[in-house]
Amino acid sequence: MAGTAPEEAIDLTAAPEAVQAELPPGVVAQSLGEYVRAYLARIRAGESGVLPVIAAMFAIMIVFTAISPNHVFLSPVNLVNLFQQAAVFMVLAMAEGFALVLGEIDLSVGFVGAIGAAITVQLVQPVTTNWNWVPAILAGLLACTVFGLIQGVLITRLRLPSFIVTLAGYLIANGIFLKILLLGPFSGYPNLAGFSNNLQVVYNLMWGTIDPTVSWILAAVVVVGFDALMWWGDSRRRRSGLVAPPVGLTVAKMVLVAVVAVVVVLICNANRANLGTLEGVPWVIPIVLAILGAWTVLLQRTKYGRYMYAIGGNAEAARRAGINVALIRTVAFGLCSFTAGVAMLLYASLLGGMSNNVGGGQYVLYAVAAAVIGGTSLFGGRGKPLHGVLGGLVIAGIYNGLYLQGISDVEWQYIITGLVLLAAVIIDAVSRRGASSGSVTRA
Amino acid sequence: MLVLSALILMACGGGNGTTPGKKIALLLPDTPTALQTRAYFEDLVTQVCPNCQVLYNAATTDAEQQTQAASAISSGASVMVLDPVHGATASTIVAQAKAANIPVVSYDRMVLNTPNLSYFVSFDTGAAGGLMAGSLVTALGSKVKPTVVEINGDPADGNTKTFKDGALSAINGKFTPARQYDTPGGTAANAKAEMERALADLKFRIDGVLAANDKLAGGAIAAMKGNVRPWPPVTGQGADLAAIQRIVTGDQYMTLYMSSKAEAEAAAQIAYDLAFGITLPASMSGGKTVNNGNADVPSVLLTPVVVTKANVEATVVADGFWSADDICTTQFISACAEAGIA
Repeated sequence: MAGTAPEEAIDLTAAPEAVQAELPPGVVAQSLGEYVRAYLARIRAGESGVLPVIAAMFAIMIVFTAISPNHVFLSPVNLVNLFQQAAVFMVLAMAEGFALVLGEIDLSVGFVGAIGAAITVQLVQPVTTNWNWVPAILAGLLACTVFGLIQGVLITRLRLPSFIVTLAGYLIANGIFLKILLLGPFSGYPNLAGFSNNLQVVYNLMWGTIDPTVSWILAAVVVVGFDALMWWGDSRRRRSGLVAPPVGLTVAKMVLVAVVAVVVVLICNANRANLGTLEGVPWVIPIVLAILGAWTVLLQRTKYGRYMYAIGGNAEAARRAGINVALIRTVAFGLCSFTAGVAMLLYASLLGGMSNNVGGGQYVLYAVAAAVIGGTSLFGGRGKPLHGVLGGLVIAGIYNGLYLQGISDVEWQYIITGLVLLAAVIIDAVSRRGASSGSVTRA
Repeated sequence: MLVLSALILMACGGGNGTTPGKKIALLLPDTPTALQTRAYFEDLVTQVCPNCQVLYNAATTDAEQQTQAASAISSGASVMVLDPVHGATASTIVAQAKAANIPVVSYDRMVLNTPNLSYFVSFDTGAAGGLMAGSLVTALGSKVKPTVVEINGDPADGNTKTFKDGALSAINGKFTPARQYDTPGGTAANAKAEMERALADLKFRIDGVLAANDKLAGGAIAAMKGNVRPWPPVTGQGADLAAIQRIVTGDQYMTLYMSSKAEAEAAAQIAYDLAFGITLPASMSGGKTVNNGNADVPSVLLTPVVVTKANVEATVVADGFWSADDICTTQFISACAEAGIA
């Protein structure tokens, strides 16, 4: 990030449109029509937001639906599979997002998360410790958080590059993870098969389903709650005379949330078994939504979140503004590892146990890729938890679609994922340049 | 538009109208032999059911295999033949197949701790030790009190005990191994070190080597090369290419060939029967079961074939497991000619 001094000067000749494009359209627009015009202006300026990833999702959907045998890509059973497979990528990408927003990177997420998952899976084994699932999960997540905080302290207090510290963390975590696996009488493969209630709960994080009727009720509660909060928040701003998005936009967003919820529940409530019944929303969907909700609120509605973006945008400016930069960054690495713990817990649940087969290195790359594909900037200061969720869906979609073709050649998965990532980085870099009128050089 | 989609539907679902096609999933670990297994499997499926389709995939990690299995289920597989990348975690795959009412055949290696397997197809590993010890007894002939060195695999490997038990019953008091070793890691290097120790202890007099597999045999032979005369018979297991070449030159006496063709065909037949709801003939498993830690799984256990110099051509070469070109590289051409391999 060695910006050279003379070029940092602000370009005073920049068009007013570019200035407008720097502001979120929800702030400048007074009506829905104006909002759309402002949004288009932003896209022209390179601020495309989640648009590319949505386009990628549609492209993947159309291509794979067309070429998958009997068009099974869009069948309910496959879509639910896809979501279960994507969940690990999504949560891991949200974890990585904490590092990326700061303009840092965390290479250790895969194995640090695996440590937490291995601890949880070991603790709930009935023949050994037989812990209740709640403290077992908390213990696993706590271990991850501590690991992350230690890395954070090293990075911020000793001013070491995050790349190297987390690379070391990656290796150390890999070793600790394997050591934990070898504990107990399981020959290194503690699994979740069995009749103990605690094993069942961990297994069901991924595989459990909510009764169809209950699914509808829960979806209704979530949609009404979300819409009410949004409406209440926006109208409060309007009453107080603060800048607020136009009413039409608020309503459009509310309707969109409701439509997405109805479609998801409809898909999940279809019977997915060849014979017999397999229906209902998998637990993992509300779990991912809860994490998405929590981290979105944290980053976009709290002081901590504003400081995060401020530091990611310009750490020096943030420090001069009196922000405790070191503390905020250290906590961010802790949150990153905590979220990674959740992701790998879902992985353990998907797998029905934990084995030494974890591709911890590969998962890091997918996590970074998912976040960037979703629209998080590699250069810091920009990124939302939602980006990880959307990017995770794209990566899982590519994999799922290729598997449906019977293409197990990892070569193609690597190539296609790599190309999508490259496209995302190019969009990221170009939009950066557009937003800052091409005046800032970036290393 | 309607007419067009109707045409497409007919083209997809029509077939030739004799047997309706079903989908059979074949999921293997990504090993060098996977494609050959797939070819054997598909050949038999095409024979018994021309309209059936094999959904094949191979995985390097258990999580990847999980994804492949989910894809096979959503693609409408009627039955799943699964060689688990990981015996323990694969029980989740079986549970998912069960939830979708798809029967699962555990192929070559057992899926552990699941009550939901329909069949297990593999080789009779218990018989292997007996076959190898038996053929060593034959090779030793009438020799009185022969000096035999026994080299077993890794003590942590479950197969090692099975091998020892099988060997012990076949030896049946005809000789007592002069030295017995368990080989840490089951590596050729450790087997070589063990044999070097045995040579020193036994003053270079050895009448036979009971090595548990081809890798161990390779290590033992390397230690004995140029040190032992007359050359003793050495056993092995696995039909590795190097072992077949040693058999051709006479360095190794025998190996056990687990015909992946026979195994794949047995699995394909069972998968076909399960897909169409045909009751399997009792002769298929002969009432045998193997316990996987949770249930006794009905099992089809094939007997491995003893391969010596006399039948290399009729077994591994005839099956296409190794071609004559694979075996008879430059340095083995004359030995091959002697053994009648072309």
